Amino acid sequence: MTDAADQLDQLLTVGEAPAARAKLQLNGVSRRFGAVQALAKVDLGIAEGEFVTLIGPSGCGKSTLFNIVAGLLEADTGGEVLLDGAATSLLGKVAFMPQRDLLLPWRNVLDNAILAAEVEGRPKRAARETARAMAADFGLKGFEDHYPQQLSGGMRQRVALMRTFMFDRDLMLLDEPFGALDALTRAMMQRWLLDIWSRYRRTILFITHDIDEAIFLGDRVVVMSARPGSIKLERRVELPRPRDPALLTTPAFNAIKRELLDAVEEESMKTFAAGAA
Amino acid sequence: MALLRLVLPLLLLAALWEGAVALLQISPFYLPPLRQVLGAIWALGPAYAQAFMVTLGEAVAGFVVGGLVGVVSATAFHHQRWLRDMLFPLFVASQTVPVIAFGAIVVLWFGNTLLAKAAIAFYLTFFPVTVNALAGFEAVDPRQVALLRSFGASRRDIWWKLLLPSALPRIFTALRLSAGLALAGAIVGEWFGASIGVGAMLLAALFNEQVVAMWAAILTAAAVGGAIFGVVALVEARLVFWRDEL
Ligand SMILES: Nc1ncnc2c1ncn2[C@@H]1O[C@H](COP(=O)(O)OP(=O)(O)OP(=O)(O)O)[C@@H](O)[C@H]1O
Ligand SMILES: [Mg+2]
Repeated sequence: MTDAADQLDQLLTVGEAPAARAKLQLNGVSRRFGAVQALAKVDLGIAEGEFVTLIGPSGCGKSTLFNIVAGLLEADTGGEVLLDGAATSLLGKVAFMPQRDLLLPWRNVLDNAILAAEVEGRPKRAARETARAMAADFGLKGFEDHYPQQLSGGMRQRVALMRTFMFDRDLMLLDEPFGALDALTRAMMQRWLLDIWSRYRRTILFITHDIDEAIFLGDRVVVMSARPGSIKLERRVELPRPRDPALLTTPAFNAIKRELLDAVEEESMKTFAAGAA
Repeated sequence: MALLRLVLPLLLLAALWEGAVALLQISPFYLPPLRQVLGAIWALGPAYAQAFMVTLGEAVAGFVVGGLVGVVSATAFHHQRWLRDMLFPLFVASQTVPVIAFGAIVVLWFGNTLLAKAAIAFYLTFFPVTVNALAGFEAVDPRQVALLRSFGASRRDIWWKLLLPSALPRIFTALRLSAGLALAGAIVGEWFGASIGVGAMLLAALFNEQVVAMWAAILTAAAVGGAIFGVVALVEARLVFWRDEL
């Protein structure tokens, strides 16, 4: 090898390595349930530390995709799911927050938050101490000993989020965490999540039905097509961080929103037409 | 406060009993005054205490084993479909045998032992617990199971942290029902020739037409049933405190 080629090679390696270092890489992931093709050849890469939001019409397979990444469902043969570049068993490797909070009514806030830690075999007392220290960050100070039934919807979601954060994994999957909240609580929770994310720094894949939310939160917005779901569009969001609500009325925000709205609407119409047919 | 809630209805019932007997002039043959019944128990205190303890022991032994077997069978049935398809019909069939017939056979096998009476109490207990525990396990939200699996939980973790606690309300419903059944089982067992125990007392009083002694035995039986039920309710209140709030 010549010196020049050697140098070039090194440059290429150096130049490429960090960018190619995908936390999660999906290649041609499909899934069929009987006659229903839920996902069709989904290709998606997520870089380390990135916050990616995923939107798409109802029933397009978003939760199915999450279940596959969490290791709860098998993808159909032919596709591959790579975590840190390796196709390993995914159960226990990804912090997954399902569409519902699924808190256990017989556990108080702290004990719900440490559920995953407990399953991992961490001593309860130590886990509770960690949770107690985190409670303030999650707006749960003073409610550590309350039971889920005694909490508001927003608080329940925060407990579920805390449980997900306490399951200390680099990749977090959040399935419509704020879907059931009223607009005001939701706006608060979004800002709060960004704040938490900047502090705990994880890679996040976040499902939402709300385009504003997708843009406000994400480094990148991914739009899925109507069923069978695949990636229709990816749009980088170059808006500066930290972001505040004033952003929602800026021209830059609206430009991105218009672009995404067109794509989402087109797909929603397809779902609608399919439902009517 | 809780004590008052327990004692007040009892006092009310006692007053009603006494009042009715006095006011309606009920013949002692149909219903002797409560004073007289309590007097009889008081006079033969140790004998009634012994009967209470013996029957309680028999009923509790069958009840505890029945409860455990019920939960274990339900767990096995929940995890192994084939086991359920194979054994559950047998469980159901077993319950169609009248308890008297079952009791006769058991006493034939084990003689007049504690084991025989506990076996009959067991026979009446395990089935409702199995059915309810199984229903409890089946009612668990599969998304909840999926969540635990995503944390890398083993089957055992899932059982301890999710299935069992979720099923507890139904299991306790069955246990409360079974408390009375276990007592009935123990008493039936005593009817095949036992000389001590509440059931034996009941039968002796019946044969000798001692109405007061019969009512005294009935009260003692109620005390046994109440004791088991009370402990079950106490444990339930501790473990399933979250039930009403669902
Ligand atoms: N276990 C399953 N068995 C059969 N069909 C399923 C199963 N899970 C999902 N589906 C089907 O796959 C499709 C995609 O479902 P999925 O829940 O992934 O959609 P989604 O995008 O999350 O919808 P939503 O936005 O309403 O949450 C749907 O048509 C659904 O009926
Ligand atoms: Mg979904």
